[in-house]
Amino acid sequence: MPMLKLNIQLFAHKKGQGSTKNGRDSESKRLGAKAADGQFVTGGSIIYRQRGTRIYPGNNVGIGKDDTIFAKIDGIVKFERVGRDKKQASVYPREEM
Amino acid sequence: MIKVNIKNNHIEIKGHAMYDDMGKDIVCAAVSTIVITTINAIIRFDKEAIKYEEKDGHISIDVLKDTNITNTLILNMIELLKELEKQYKKNIKINEEVL
Repeated sequence: MPMLKLNIQLFAHKKGQGSTKNGRDSESKRLGAKAADGQFVTGGSIIYRQRGTRIYPGNNVGIGKDDTIFAKIDGIVKFERVGRDKKQASVYPREEM
Repeated sequence: MIKVNIKNNHIEIKGHAMYDDMGKDIVCAAVSTIVITTINAIIRFDKEAIKYEEKDGHISIDVLKDTNITNTLILNMIELLKELEKQYKKNIKINEEVL
């Protein structure tokens, strides 16, 4: 029988041969604030996109069926603390500021 | 995991150590070196003493001649693989069947 060539990685698994059960992710939904505190927005503008009510609708602000927070009037955005741990977004007309 | 099956004069070593990726797998390197060194050493003494088959991740050895040198070298290989098994239990498993 011929001699064997010394292949010291004979019992190694090739890179990438192993399969992984991970590697999947859903399409990013670009959630979060769309208008900053103190920013002027027009009526109907989206202020905050969210899942559930991280931010509650405050004055002159509505909430869509997908919990999106939007302005009802033109004005300046204000993020306010409500109670101990809740936040709300309000819009105040420029004159009131 | 590398599995070593020893059944009298037939020894089979197969599988992947899975210690690390190719090129960095030290357990695979140790097993490969021990086994290949033993096979080549036996053949240097007597070409007809053993028969082997080798392909990616699989070596089988059949001892054809019951000589002192062959038996000593095979025993030495098995003892070294057993020592390796103690240190890397997750990467090599030896199964000895004495009929």
